[in-house]
Amino acid sequence: MKRIFLGVSLVLFLALALGGCATTGDLEQVQAQGKVIDAKADQAIQDAQAAKASANEAQAKADAAAARAEEAVKKAEAREQVAAEKEERAQALFQKSMKK
Amino acid sequence: MPIDFPTRGRKPSPGAGISSVGLSARPGTILLSALFLAVFLLSGCAAMNGLRDGSAPLEVHPETSLERNVFPVVKGGDVVGRLAVVRVEKGDTLPDIARHFSLGVNALGAANPGVDMWLPKAGECVTLPLRFILPDAPRKGIVINLASMRLFHYRGDKRSPVVATYPVGVGTDERPTPTGQMRVVRKVTRPTWYVPASIAEDHRKKGDILPPAVLPGPLNPLGEHALYLSRSTYLIHGTNKPASIGLNATNGCLRLYPEDVKRLYEGTPVNTPVCIVDQPYLVGQRNGIVYLEVHASAEDTDAGELKKMYGKLKAIEKKTGRAFDREKIDKVLAEARGVPVPIFETEQGRWVEQTIEVRHPDKLSGRPEMPELKTGAWYVWAADLDDRTEALRLAAIINHQGPQIPARVLSKGSGYRVVAGPFKDAGEARGAAGRLKFDLEIDGVIIEPSLGK
Repeated sequence: MKRIFLGVSLVLFLALALGGCATTGDLEQVQAQGKVIDAKADQAIQDAQAAKASANEAQAKADAAAARAEEAVKKAEAREQVAAEKEERAQALFQKSMKK
Repeated sequence: MPIDFPTRGRKPSPGAGISSVGLSARPGTILLSALFLAVFLLSGCAAMNGLRDGSAPLEVHPETSLERNVFPVVKGGDVVGRLAVVRVEKGDTLPDIARHFSLGVNALGAANPGVDMWLPKAGECVTLPLRFILPDAPRKGIVINLASMRLFHYRGDKRSPVVATYPVGVGTDERPTPTGQMRVVRKVTRPTWYVPASIAEDHRKKGDILPPAVLPGPLNPLGEHALYLSRSTYLIHGTNKPASIGLNATNGCLRLYPEDVKRLYEGTPVNTPVCIVDQPYLVGQRNGIVYLEVHASAEDTDAGELKKMYGKLKAIEKKTGRAFDREKIDKVLAEARGVPVPIFETEQGRWVEQTIEVRHPDKLSGRPEMPELKTGAWYVWAADLDDRTEALRLAAIINHQGPQIPARVLSKGSGYRVVAGPFKDAGEARGAAGRLKFDLEIDGVIIEPSLGK
């Protein structure tokens, strides 16, 4: 009975001793992984910031383009208005010229 | 270098077609181009301004087959003629198309909103509003509807009555054409125009002294034929300003195209009754279809005419026991295109009357000729303009004066120069410059011929 108890205790001791060594390695691995993740996070943040900056830039460009388009439409409308007025004036003059 | 100015309906030059070499070189491209062209050509007139009847592709007919003036009058029917379309060619103007198809410029313009009167786009389809609702007046002698600016001459015997219809120019707001019953009291060919004091005064104010009488000739505004009416001082006559037909441009008289007044003159005996009405709302029926025609002048007309129109529509509703589509009526009223629009079928399945497409004629009759430039001739500078469209429009307007003043556009640096001429001598050039000043407020400059030519 004593022998059995001793054997079990030895197995447990060995298991504990061996288990303690694994935890240290894991810690190092976790630390290494943490560094990697940290670096990745930094990169992701940088990327996100860059993307945001790029998006902001694109938005600014789009806004500028929209403003330019609006301006162009306004100019075209103004041109059309002027052309329509010219056409109307010409027509009025023509009608007047058709009298005796 | 002269820019491309409107020219007569040109035929393709020899060799302008696709050569056999081209076909063998790029058959795919050519086939595709041909397909696109075909689609464009077919869709052009199909997707017009919403006036055409039916949705099937338009049949293309020779333009000579299209009746413009004389139509049989069917008992119980008050709609004559049909709608047609024609494709604009480069250099056309609406006044030229109007004259060729015996339409007034007002009618053609109203039926084609958005089409430039002087510079319509080549390939554009224009509706020829050659369907008319007869005015609500006795069908005897001559009936003139001021609102539609159209004259109807009832002829023929009782068995086969016909109506000949022509566009007219009518009086202005200041000097309107009177309405009422009158008759033709005398007829004169090559009439002398005795200048009314009011017109002489208008001209005098602008520094243009008119003689008391203008003898027959190109400067006589009565043209070659005149029918004097029983209402003193009012005439139905020709014109030396054909582009004015379909405008409010007279002092109360009624003007017709020279070719139309000749036919009217020949077919109208003295004592023919003349009834002048002003009906901007016309309701008519033909072959089980009810049409509504509304003219832009309706805005200036009293509500009585509108009430009369609704009365007629209600009577039809009562007779058929079916209600009209009010939205459709409101649309016709709002658009006021002067074209009879089908609004109701009194019998099922009668709806569509096919619009046809007519081929563009080789030459639009009555279109102003454009003489070639001559170095030894006199000219009148009319304007320097930056805008090509404006320059072309001005030249076209000058060209359509009566009598014609030939005018063209020449390129000038980055701009455009409008020049009238050629004129054979200084007197002719001075005369043209005077007319440009009086009629179009243009301060022209006379250009002498080049020395040594």
